Amino acid sequence: MATDGGSSVFVSPCAFSPKSHQYLALSTQDGSLRVWDTQSNTLYQEYVPSAHLSATCTCLAWGPCRTFKDGPQRKKRKSEVAQHGGQLDLLALGTAAGTVLLYSTVKGQLHSKLDGGHDSKVNCVRWHPENNSLYSCSDDSHIVEWDLQTGKVKCKWKADKCAVSCLCLSPDGKMLLSAGQTIKMWDLETKEVYRRFTGHATAVSMLCFANTRPPTRGMEGLYFLSGAAHDRMLSVWQVRSDGKDKNAVLSFTLTDEPIYVDLAMSQSKDEAVKLAVVCKDNQMHLFEHVLNGHCKKPLSPSCSVQVASPGSVGDSVPWPVPIMAAALTIDKQALLLAYGSGLQPVIERTTLNAGETHVCLVRDIQASLTLRTETTVTKVKTPTVKADAKLLVPGLPGHSAPNKSTPLETKRKPGSDTKEMSIEERLGVIDLSPVEGHKGVHKGGLPLQTDSFAVLLVQGLESSDSNILNKVFQTKKEVLIKKTVARLPIPAVLPLVQELSKRMQGHPYSGVLMVRWLKAVFTFHASYLSTLPSLVSQLGVLYHMIESRVKMFHKLSRLHGKLYLLITQIAATDKSHSVAALDQTAKLVYEEDSSEEEEEGTGDEMLAEEEDSDHWEEEEEMKEVTERSDKGEEHSDEEMNMENKLNGDSDLEPDNESEEE
Amino acid sequence: MVEQGEIRVVRCGGSTINYRKAIFTLDSKYLLCTSGDMVKVYSTATEECVHVLQGHTNLVTGIALNPTNHLQVYSCSMDGTIKLWDFTDNILIKTFTVGYKLLALYTSKAHEGCVFVIIPKENDEALDSFQLVAVRLPKSSDQEVAATELSFVLNDVSQLPKCTSYGREGEFVASVKGLHLTVYFFRNQKTYRLSLNATPKKGANNIFTCVACHPKEDCIATGHEDGKIRLWRNFNRKKEYTHSTHHWHHSAVNDLSFTPEGTNLLSGGIESVLVQWRYGEETKKDFLPRLGAAIAHISTSPEGSLYCTSHSDNKITIIQSNLRVSAVIQGLVKGDNIKTDLMIDPRTKALVLNGKPGHLQFYSLQHDKQLYNLDIVQQEYINQSGLHQFDVVKAAFDAQGSWLATVEERKEKLADLEIQLKIWVYKDEMQSFVLNTTITSPHEDHITALCFCNTNETTMLVTTGRDGRFKAWVLGDDSDIYRESVCWSCDFVGTYHNLLATNCCFSEDGSLLAVGFEQIITIWNPNTWDLVCTFCQPPGKIKDLCFGRLSCSKYLLGTTTNSFLCCWNLLTCTLEWSVGLNVILLQLDPLSENVAAFSCAAENSDLFVFRPNEPRPVYLQKNICQGSVQRAVFTPRDVPEENCSESSQWLNRSQLYFLTRDMDLMTFSTKTEEDRLTSSSKQLLIEENVPVTPFYLLLGKHRQAKLDAENGTLAAQVQLPQGSVAIKELLQTPAHVLPSATFLCTMFVNSLLISKDGKSEVPEEAEEEMESEKEEDETSDQEMDSQHKVKPEYFVEELVPKLSKKEERDLKRVRKTDYSWLCPFYGKLP
Repeated sequence: MATDGGSSVFVSPCAFSPKSHQYLALSTQDGSLRVWDTQSNTLYQEYVPSAHLSATCTCLAWGPCRTFKDGPQRKKRKSEVAQHGGQLDLLALGTAAGTVLLYSTVKGQLHSKLDGGHDSKVNCVRWHPENNSLYSCSDDSHIVEWDLQTGKVKCKWKADKCAVSCLCLSPDGKMLLSAGQTIKMWDLETKEVYRRFTGHATAVSMLCFANTRPPTRGMEGLYFLSGAAHDRMLSVWQVRSDGKDKNAVLSFTLTDEPIYVDLAMSQSKDEAVKLAVVCKDNQMHLFEHVLNGHCKKPLSPSCSVQVASPGSVGDSVPWPVPIMAAALTIDKQALLLAYGSGLQPVIERTTLNAGETHVCLVRDIQASLTLRTETTVTKVKTPTVKADAKLLVPGLPGHSAPNKSTPLETKRKPGSDTKEMSIEERLGVIDLSPVEGHKGVHKGGLPLQTDSFAVLLVQGLESSDSNILNKVFQTKKEVLIKKTVARLPIPAVLPLVQELSKRMQGHPYSGVLMVRWLKAVFTFHASYLSTLPSLVSQLGVLYHMIESRVKMFHKLSRLHGKLYLLITQIAATDKSHSVAALDQTAKLVYEEDSSEEEEEGTGDEMLAEEEDSDHWEEEEEMKEVTERSDKGEEHSDEEMNMENKLNGDSDLEPDNESEEE
Repeated sequence: MVEQGEIRVVRCGGSTINYRKAIFTLDSKYLLCTSGDMVKVYSTATEECVHVLQGHTNLVTGIALNPTNHLQVYSCSMDGTIKLWDFTDNILIKTFTVGYKLLALYTSKAHEGCVFVIIPKENDEALDSFQLVAVRLPKSSDQEVAATELSFVLNDVSQLPKCTSYGREGEFVASVKGLHLTVYFFRNQKTYRLSLNATPKKGANNIFTCVACHPKEDCIATGHEDGKIRLWRNFNRKKEYTHSTHHWHHSAVNDLSFTPEGTNLLSGGIESVLVQWRYGEETKKDFLPRLGAAIAHISTSPEGSLYCTSHSDNKITIIQSNLRVSAVIQGLVKGDNIKTDLMIDPRTKALVLNGKPGHLQFYSLQHDKQLYNLDIVQQEYINQSGLHQFDVVKAAFDAQGSWLATVEERKEKLADLEIQLKIWVYKDEMQSFVLNTTITSPHEDHITALCFCNTNETTMLVTTGRDGRFKAWVLGDDSDIYRESVCWSCDFVGTYHNLLATNCCFSEDGSLLAVGFEQIITIWNPNTWDLVCTFCQPPGKIKDLCFGRLSCSKYLLGTTTNSFLCCWNLLTCTLEWSVGLNVILLQLDPLSENVAAFSCAAENSDLFVFRPNEPRPVYLQKNICQGSVQRAVFTPRDVPEENCSESSQWLNRSQLYFLTRDMDLMTFSTKTEEDRLTSSSKQLLIEENVPVTPFYLLLGKHRQAKLDAENGTLAAQVQLPQGSVAIKELLQTPAHVLPSATFLCTMFVNSLLISKDGKSEVPEEAEEEMESEKEEDETSDQEMDSQHKVKPEYFVEELVPKLSKKEERDLKRVRKTDYSWLCPFYGKLP
């Protein structure tokens, strides 16, 4: 029975950490254990047992975790020394070799290895809620109670004829359920069978208590759930004092064999039990039921959840994404879902609408996977920035309020109605305009050129054909533009204005072209435009844009001025430098001594150089002479004055000399 | 602080972990760091906090491993005590009261029973003069001991712990301050003072910033303000010292550290690059760049396999010796001021605030752990002082958590203000935020507030700016033939008499919008954008503004700069009541009618919790913290509490967190909550039983078998000479103090003989000793004490070989026999 019950497809064991569901522990097929942080959706730890291939993990269970991070720390109060010696967040792993490993997620290493209990595959491990004990069951039909303080077997007993596939401890820790051929309830004090239940035809894969024990009577009124391989039912059993509890009280229908069950226990009698069951067919079902005795009709889920990939992007067919585990949050409102592949599960917190019975969540796993590559170490998430994100800069419609003047404010809503009306009008216009255009052609034969331009423009505007419009708008001839606009039929004016304002928002260069057209439109059709009721909203965008662009104009012109000044200055200094450089070269050549030195230094080139230098000399002298003569001619009068002065000086000089003497 | 009633102010995590150098334990499994008045023990493998050593009453300023017992750690604090902890079991072993404010702590293997601390001169910090003293720790079995035996070591040292370092084998201590390097030799008690010129060149700044001593050689490395690293040698001879200069850092070297073998020198600074210099060939450098924030401290593990760097953004990075980051321990990132409000992400219930520059951090309050940083600005942050870069200054979530609006600003002195408003949508398909709309310069000046409209039908965002405008942004259709999409666009721009718009707030149902313009509150109808009414109040600018909730939705609350808290009735448009109270912060509980108001009077903050419909507070607590409260937020609880008493009922559905002036995150906890926590913290005792590794199977088993064989055949085998204590003694004693060979001969022969009682138990005995030591560590602190007491005596005896050899031998024999007798009893004793 066990063999056919043992799942043929490997279902990787996984479990959420209790209470706050902070972590999801997941053992993959290759025997490595991965712990995922559910809040940040990142890999928290990875652990590969040394014997992970020979002793693959078959089942896992979280031990009692720390509730909070030591609770809020006491402030300014002398704390009791070592009030707690450090919790370890233990995770018990049952292996195929029959050992049980205790892994501490706090230390990130193996804490203990429990050996010598089983000879065969461990099917289920369960923690005792209070004592330091752990229960495990195995294919060798035994249940072992481990004393964790010593790490030794405390008690071992044969529970069934065949393999024991599942265990469950009652919330108060007094009773133990085991499932082999039948489901047995054990009294843990005496290790005796307290009750027997029929069980399932196939191997039981899950057992779970549904309520806490009512305080009054013994074990009576205790409910538990069981699910089995290949069984599309979850059965609920009740412990009754009259012994009529051989058969299930009620059942929940599923779509496939259950692989993960999470249950929010009912604390009181009237409180409904909430149940989240993940089935093998990648569906998750939510049940809600108040447990009160027998119910013949199988209950159907209150809500079913599926996850699917978006089909539209790359691969055309949406495919279902497997759900691995689901858990109800503490407040019982939200749902924690783990889906995707076992290597990289996505953990999501969702709140489901109460009304819907079928929910399909469309999730792009690939995209979310690529987002989470580097996050583990750096702890930085980069939100997606796509190219199609809207960018609003000052001047674009939407950056500023569409209307400015208050009188139109009241017309905002009716305005939208008229806009819709104008589609009809526009249809009418479409009918009209070509006729007019044709008329124009018929009427004036002479200005054919411009007229055909107007026709072209009208056609372009109607069909919003960018090619035609580009052709038309690229003209730079003022006359042509004016004439075209003048001949434009009235109904085409508004579309033209809209088209122009749209094009204005584009490249600034195109704006230059568009302004000419706009000017022309305003000069010829101002009267028509002023009659329009929606004038402000139509031209508002244009106004905002021009304003925002003009706002920068002042600064830009200032910058331009500064830059111009700077550039011209630099150019000027460059020029003066180059002049100076020229002078310098001339001076260098003028130096006689240097040439003489060279003569002395080098014998061979002496003659040539001598000649050269002579030539230069002569030229220089010539220049000087001519310059002098020029100067002399030009400023002869001044020189005369100068000479006079010089004479005066010379008059004084002898005196000085005499004094010196 | 006096406990008031049932509600107490408690610290709730997010504490600083980068205040001092973190230290590794000997096996590199744990990392210890100071955190406020606690010491935290982190696992280096999992980044998880394993223990919190609590007991100091003031800031912990230094930690150091006990050199004689590697499972113990000393910590010193501003409260004037040194505490000795067993960090593996979280046990306070001893408290030494020194009586001075302690600013740094050093231990040295060479100085047994003695630690070094830096204390302010005359115990007055204001003097700005500090000295390094040695504190002899008295050996006493008492829990609390007064350590009064201080001996002066160095005068005028820097108060920073990184400015003092112990050299090879604790032979000397080097300390830097200003432009001087002081080296003090313990053996000959000589002090050498080496100085640098003030500023030899223009732009150079020679001031010392840190010092590190080579663990094997006589070499001191110093870091300087201008980014240079100098290696000093021959400093014990005056005028002959040499130093070589190495320059890579462009600004001050924040910390230096040698690896334990001294093969590498690590340095770091504001560039957030860890530089690894090869000792001896300093031209070869390795770099680990982009560590996120300026490096404040560097430390290495005793075995050299791990380095760790503490960063200015409250982070510790653990780095493998091949310069790969292996783990990051991230605390709550706290800058000088938090520009964004504290927010709660409705989706994950995480606390959201400014994180790394240009990021928003998501912090889990439940688990006291940073979840992640969301990169908003998406520009590479350049770590350089004086550089202005984009930073997130405002952020807001809508009620469902599907929209996030962020404002980023960049302001340089002379240039224009650059502002970007980004609106992000949370895409379920991708499980991440996706940028929807970017609006450049939404306002012409700083944005003062932004808020989302809370209703489901309309999605609206309102921003107010210092340019005197408020803008309403609505979600509109932006589809074209290629795609379907939505984007945000401006719907309305409102002004009021050209006054600065300072606050905005939506009413609960989204039917009214209140915008504060300096002293005037205007109420607008967001559907028609009509100005409904205005409220004027006693003069004073509006600081906070909020609508009442649930049954109090007809009230509007406002606080002004001149200490008034006003409440208007929106139905009658009249002032309902006003109170003269200097409210600095007004916070609404999203799940109830309660409003929390923090007021500041005389350097202390008070909390008032009230409902808008009556001016009488529901709850009042004075003196919640020093200084004014910076930010506060209500977070919804997962499971509602059941507090019956009236005063604590306001905490039933949500919890109030606030940030103090010192950037401590605090909360209010009720008695029931604490009871629940203490009752649930029942602990599980589980024996650690790590299975043998394959390596052990190969080697260990072999060795054990050998040992068994030895025991089995007994005696005939000669013990290894090293095993004997006498031989060990003989080999270790320096040759010049050894007595003559004839004298030693008998001793040597004796040691080779098999004693009658002990036989081959000698090695076993040694083992047992080891085991008992281990057990002692694990059992209880009492035994620990006794063991501790025994041990020093043992050492003292060894250190003073004044007895004659014969006496010594006799004594040794006595001791040996004694021990072997004692051992079994020792183990059996309860």
